[in-house]
Amino acid sequence: MTILSVENLCKNYGRVQALKGVSFSVPKGTVFGILGPNGSGKTTMLGIIMDILKPTSGSYKLFDADPDETFRRKIGTFLETPNFYHYLSAQKNLEIAAAIKERGADDIPRVLELVNLTQRKDSRFSTYSLGMKQRLSIASCLLGDPEVLILDEPTNGLDPVGIAEIRQLIKQLHQQGKTIIMASHLLDEVEKVCTHVAILKKGGLVATGDVNEILATEDIVEVGATDVKQLASIIGNMQGYNSIRENDKMLQLFYPVGTANIESINKYCFSNGVVLNHLQLKKKSLEAKFFELTN
Amino acid sequence: MIKLLKVEWMKIRGYNAFIVISAFFALGVFASNYLAYSFKKNVIDPADPTGLISAGSPFGFPNVWQTVSYYSGLMLLLPGLLLLILVTNEFTYRTHRQNIIDGISRNQFTQVKLLMGVIIALVSTLLVFIAALLFGFFVNTGSFSLTGIGNVWFFFLKALTYNFIAILIGVLVRRTGFAIAVFFIYTALENGISILLLVWAINIKKDHNIDLGNMGNYLPMNASDGLLYSPFDSFTNMANKFLPADYTWLVFSLAIIYLALFYFWSQRRMLKSDL
Repeated sequence: MTILSVENLCKNYGRVQALKGVSFSVPKGTVFGILGPNGSGKTTMLGIIMDILKPTSGSYKLFDADPDETFRRKIGTFLETPNFYHYLSAQKNLEIAAAIKERGADDIPRVLELVNLTQRKDSRFSTYSLGMKQRLSIASCLLGDPEVLILDEPTNGLDPVGIAEIRQLIKQLHQQGKTIIMASHLLDEVEKVCTHVAILKKGGLVATGDVNEILATEDIVEVGATDVKQLASIIGNMQGYNSIRENDKMLQLFYPVGTANIESINKYCFSNGVVLNHLQLKKKSLEAKFFELTN
Repeated sequence: MIKLLKVEWMKIRGYNAFIVISAFFALGVFASNYLAYSFKKNVIDPADPTGLISAGSPFGFPNVWQTVSYYSGLMLLLPGLLLLILVTNEFTYRTHRQNIIDGISRNQFTQVKLLMGVIIALVSTLLVFIAALLFGFFVNTGSFSLTGIGNVWFFFLKALTYNFIAILIGVLVRRTGFAIAVFFIYTALENGISILLLVWAINIKKDHNIDLGNMGNYLPMNASDGLLYSPFDSFTNMANKFLPADYTWLVFSLAIIYLALFYFWSQRRMLKSDL
């Protein structure tokens, strides 16, 4: 079953195109990361899916059906900022959320314990720190143990321990078979918890699919010699790398992950009459891959 | 809808502004009427023994329905203010978004706010009914009578109009402080324009002998205001020679049309716009 399918979704704010015909689908049981820099359209897209923004064109389906409010009740969603009644306690705010969702009222103690807010459950929301507000939002999402969660930047405002806890929680939920759709601008976060990813850039979809395929990194081997032109000519006949980049002092050879063998490169060059004065294996960073995809 | 009303109750039952404004309104209904009663008894009656300004007993049956409805109507900005705050709070805290994310439809979100407007108008009207009964029995100048109880119904219409205008302004303006300012400025402005229209209608009647009615009552808030007449009958009767006619049926129809307009406008705004 497809949890969410988005079909050619467009959203314009005046002349600004916030979404430009985005299409993708989220299979059941995945941790689906929506990745993109600030302003790439992640929250706009989730806002449309949650019916708080109206699309200019395009459509989407939830649970393979045309969406209405009853489907939203089955999803635990945290979008952008923690939204609660400031004058009410965490307990009362969760009671309201449970009443709207029509489930989870008896689940409030469990979710408060999960996010370490049991001791402050009777404090007014306005007295909470940003991190506590964020954790209360996560607790609200978990009410009634939903099969699907949509989390928009869930670790914003959390301290390092809180971030690690949320990541651990997401992994646990995934192991329980839940589907999690998570928007983030943090590559590290997506790499650590997501199984699938869609990358957005300026409102357009750059890539979507299995996270290991889309964000697969490459091995980079840097080679240098006194005569770089001669080095380039012999390297040109060498096999095994995907691409080559030349600069004034050295060459960069791009290999599929785990296939670069610097010993054999050294041997090949020496046997072809070139003595290397620089040979180094570098892992291409995820960040560099992300920049490559989004720039 | 019962579920949604329960949710609304959960939102407001611990809210200080709700408790304070409700208490002020309840107090205001009794205080404003008692002040009017006291003023009539201690100031007007001794100074006006012939009943030139006001004859009879406005707080005795059957006049009490009209009198209490009229004076209580002066307090109706308070329930309107309460609804305005309840609506704009949702936008300030962005809980309107969260309510919809959690599983209320946009239509339900607006419907339940408008229903709250109806319920608050009904509770206000019930309070006025009780106040009128108490004043009527307390003054005890005539036997109990339901004649003129239609004024209590007009009070309900007026309360509903104020509440729906407040909801509409809340939905359109969204920011609490700004919305409150718009609500009060609009009320003052409409009353000002209403007086100008009345003067214009008086002049037309005088100069051309054409009676267009009290045109001030053709405006949204004044339409329901205009259905509740001042209880000082003698004074009004004197002035009526110069005033345009009161086309009650027209003013009543306009009040209903305006209510429908506020209802559909609020709903459309919530259904069509980005939240």
